[in-house]
Amino acid sequence: MKRKALLGIGAVAVVALVGGCAFNSEQADSGGAADGPVTLTFQSLAYQDSTVAATKEIVDTWNAEHPDITIELTQGSWDGVHDQLVTQFQGGTAPDIIHNESSDIMGFAEQGYLADLGQYLSEDTTNAVSDEVWDTVTTRDGEVVAAPTLIQTYVVFANTDAFAAAGVEVPSGDQLSWDDLQATAKQLTRDGKFGVGWGLRQPTAAVMNTALGFGGTYFDIGEGDEADTIHVGDAELAVPERIHAMAHEDRSLDPVSLTQSGSDVLPGFLSGKYAMYVGGNYLAQQITESAPEGFNWTVLPPLAGTEGPVQAANPQTMSVSARSEAPEQAAEFIDYFMSPENQAKLAQGDWLIPASSPARDELAEQTKDTPVWQPMLASAENLSGAPFQQASKYPQWKDQYATPALQQYFADSIGLGDLRTKLTDGWNSIE
Amino acid sequence: MTTATSRPVRPRRPPRGVGGFGGNGGRDAWLLVLPALIPVVLFSVYPLVQGILLGFTDAQAGLNQPVDFNGVDNYTRLLDHDLFWKSFRIGLIWAFSVTILQFLASLGLALLLNLNLRLRWLARTLALVPWAMPPVIIAIMWKLMLNPSYGPINELMRTLGLPGDINWLGDFSTALPAVIVVGIWAGMPQTTITLLAGLQNVRGELHEAAAIDGAGTWQRFWHVTLPALRPVIVAITSLDLIWNFNSFALVYVLTAGGPGGQTMLPMLFAYNEAFRYGNFGYAAALGNVMVVVIAAFLVLYLRGQARSRDS
Amino acid sequence: MTPTVAPVRRTRPFARPLQYLALAAYMVFLGFPLVFLLSTSMKTAQELRSPDNSFLPDRLSWDNFGDAIEKANLVQAAGNSLYVATLTTVIVTLVSLPAAYAMARFRTRLRGAATIWILLSQVFPFILIIVPLFLVLKQIGLVDDPHGLVIAYTVWSLPFALWMLRGYVAAVPVDLEEAGAIDGASRLRVLRSIVLPLLAPGLVATSLFTFISSWNEFFFALVLIQDPDLQTLPLTLARFVGAEGQVQMGQLAAASLLATIPSLAFFLLIQRRLTSGLMSGAVKG
Repeated sequence: MKRKALLGIGAVAVVALVGGCAFNSEQADSGGAADGPVTLTFQSLAYQDSTVAATKEIVDTWNAEHPDITIELTQGSWDGVHDQLVTQFQGGTAPDIIHNESSDIMGFAEQGYLADLGQYLSEDTTNAVSDEVWDTVTTRDGEVVAAPTLIQTYVVFANTDAFAAAGVEVPSGDQLSWDDLQATAKQLTRDGKFGVGWGLRQPTAAVMNTALGFGGTYFDIGEGDEADTIHVGDAELAVPERIHAMAHEDRSLDPVSLTQSGSDVLPGFLSGKYAMYVGGNYLAQQITESAPEGFNWTVLPPLAGTEGPVQAANPQTMSVSARSEAPEQAAEFIDYFMSPENQAKLAQGDWLIPASSPARDELAEQTKDTPVWQPMLASAENLSGAPFQQASKYPQWKDQYATPALQQYFADSIGLGDLRTKLTDGWNSIE
Repeated sequence: MTTATSRPVRPRRPPRGVGGFGGNGGRDAWLLVLPALIPVVLFSVYPLVQGILLGFTDAQAGLNQPVDFNGVDNYTRLLDHDLFWKSFRIGLIWAFSVTILQFLASLGLALLLNLNLRLRWLARTLALVPWAMPPVIIAIMWKLMLNPSYGPINELMRTLGLPGDINWLGDFSTALPAVIVVGIWAGMPQTTITLLAGLQNVRGELHEAAAIDGAGTWQRFWHVTLPALRPVIVAITSLDLIWNFNSFALVYVLTAGGPGGQTMLPMLFAYNEAFRYGNFGYAAALGNVMVVVIAAFLVLYLRGQARSRDS
Repeated sequence: MTPTVAPVRRTRPFARPLQYLALAAYMVFLGFPLVFLLSTSMKTAQELRSPDNSFLPDRLSWDNFGDAIEKANLVQAAGNSLYVATLTTVIVTLVSLPAAYAMARFRTRLRGAATIWILLSQVFPFILIIVPLFLVLKQIGLVDDPHGLVIAYTVWSLPFALWMLRGYVAAVPVDLEEAGAIDGASRLRVLRSIVLPLLAPGLVATSLFTFISSWNEFFFALVLIQDPDLQTLPLTLARFVGAEGQVQMGQLAAASLLATIPSLAFFLLIQRRLTSGLMSGAVKG
């Protein structure tokens, strides 16, 4: 009996081995245009009511005009989209058209999951977006794996009544330097109220994006098979250092807010606990939705470091799965999605900035009566590509090393030197 | 209780290999078990064996990625993977603290419920509720409770004049303790009810005899109740330890392992390796190590218990 | 239900008040979060955000429930959960009943093997099973499909269902079956007319417990279901808390309460049987 049992286990093991070899036996489709009518799935991550509605409208209009290419819209969520895509690509169930952001998709591109759209996208789409932004969605082999859509920048929201009550002038002009931000915050801190609230529970993206204002690039992207390398110098650490000083030396930035998410901190801004609130420009939509009556707010000029008001462009993206049977038709839909009217509509709903410059012009025209839009659009003038988007191990480094180290630094439990070491050693330890 | 346990007639054990009324019991048994056996072998035993083997391969995410056996490479790599050991340590702290504290809290509650107190029914019902709640919801509820600005816990702290702006789940020093408290809350029902059932089987005569001998409440508890409860205690604490070590949903929703990996239980860590970074082979290797360690603890614990019972 | 209460004697005079104090402390610890959830679900957004937010709502507002249902897509998710949990329960019950009977009545090697498997299934972390299970389901096209989830839940609930049911079967005296057989009734009839009615309460408890576990389960669903339209309730809620943050505390609380109601109701229905089932499974080993 015992021998039989062993034989049984052996048999199972052999079967398992065979199964193991079939781990990835499926071939990618060769691509190209499929004949006849096709149905393509499109997973959108839009989540604010206005953008969800705008997306649906775009898809409905497309479907009405294109009986041969039907787009089936599903609603995904930013929360957990990376895990979802890993699983879907592996299981062969990924949607044809994939909405995500550039810093998250380059790893998938390297694993061969994303189709090269360079050959399919129209000239209009190609010309609408600047080369810097195209760089953020181009692999080191020169494949364009996505079309960049909307861009988030970090802006400073201000409660103008709190400024008036403290007798502080609301900053204006082309840019707001970090030093001015720090000084203003100090003036506004009194009576248990803080100058700034900043939901930095996930600090890495914000630091990566704004570090560029001081010339902090963090990574050198290797050529060909060369590994990407990291360098953490003074320029890279300028932004963390300032945030730390505001939170722990000046006490003008609420340190508790640094441990919370952006939307968790928002109620504090709306209730007057924070005179200024730093966050992605998309938060403007939440402010308009939930501000109490009589709440007066504005957006301050773009934050500037020594290199000017430069931020990294980390655009949202539209990609096509390498396994899609009709990449050409999918790209056709993306072209349509990228049209200035559609992009302007989506951008307005989300308070984000279109990567396409005709769409930006359209948006400026549509919003000329809403003054807070101007500084937001202005912050897009100085968007630039940043190496972290090309570094394929960036997502893992961000989770396992950068985020914990920055969180510890912002909680004042490690110093600047430790931060530097952790960021560098962490990158070098990822296989 | 009108339960199976207290039925006066114990069912007579049928003779080996013979059913209720003779016949070829062995074959019948197989036929009866087969419908359960097939899905279990196909979707549980087979994946499990494959999973163990996967821990010895370099399986990774990627289109047409070849998979090769790489022997013990995963394990040598694991040896100096600091993050994994940190997560492992957190897992052990979590599993042991929750199990021990949960046991003590549950024992106290079970003893109280075993007394003839008023409102006992209400306490008993309340003690059961967390069992029925989905772990995701328990996590959401406690997340709201622990919210630094609007949660009732900080509000209470402020009323008492204590610092009321602690971000329990976001602060490096408080995140793990806070998560452990939620773990205790979530797991108390099973432990309490099991202990209570065990208590109700402790025979009254023993207590009376001890009382006649002049033993006080504490002595009776120590010398009568506890020894009688022992098998139940060993069983439930072993199960709790396994369940806690392998738990996932609660902490995934509460903190997702943060801040800075302070609550990164091994299950979360392995999940991330597999479904975030696409290192399937490595994740399976982590699973293998977890099984070996938890099995070792159990063997030690159960053997120690058996030995001290014999002596 | 006639609990065998341990005799209380020679209690010191202050013991009783202390016992009540301890019981009250436990009740606050266990019950407060639920009361808080209920109270939060009935507050308006303005009230929740106001600085002098009292514990009880100023007035009962049911808006959060409506908003939550609409915003979190709860109806569709509840439908998915209901489908998966019901199908799982039916399969598990049908499959485990004969197996439990065999395990309780026949003393073959199977019994030992089954017991070992039941125990082992508790020790192995899901992470070891999920990757290969994912690949098996992928090969038969059941990834991102509710039926794949049903398969996962079935094999995952089977050990526990078997464990409980075996205890119930063992509690049915063999003599009854033998008496039936002597009267000349066919075996099947004996099972149907004598054993099954006696098992019915245990069967109900086991199936409801299976239902609750499937309704509450998160990990398998997280990995196996990616299509947002197929998500079960726990998945939808976990995403809802991630996306909305805690701005919409009221809606979050309302959604959580709604999702808990079915399992809570079932649970209170079967709790007594469940306890005895667990214990008898353990004792009758």
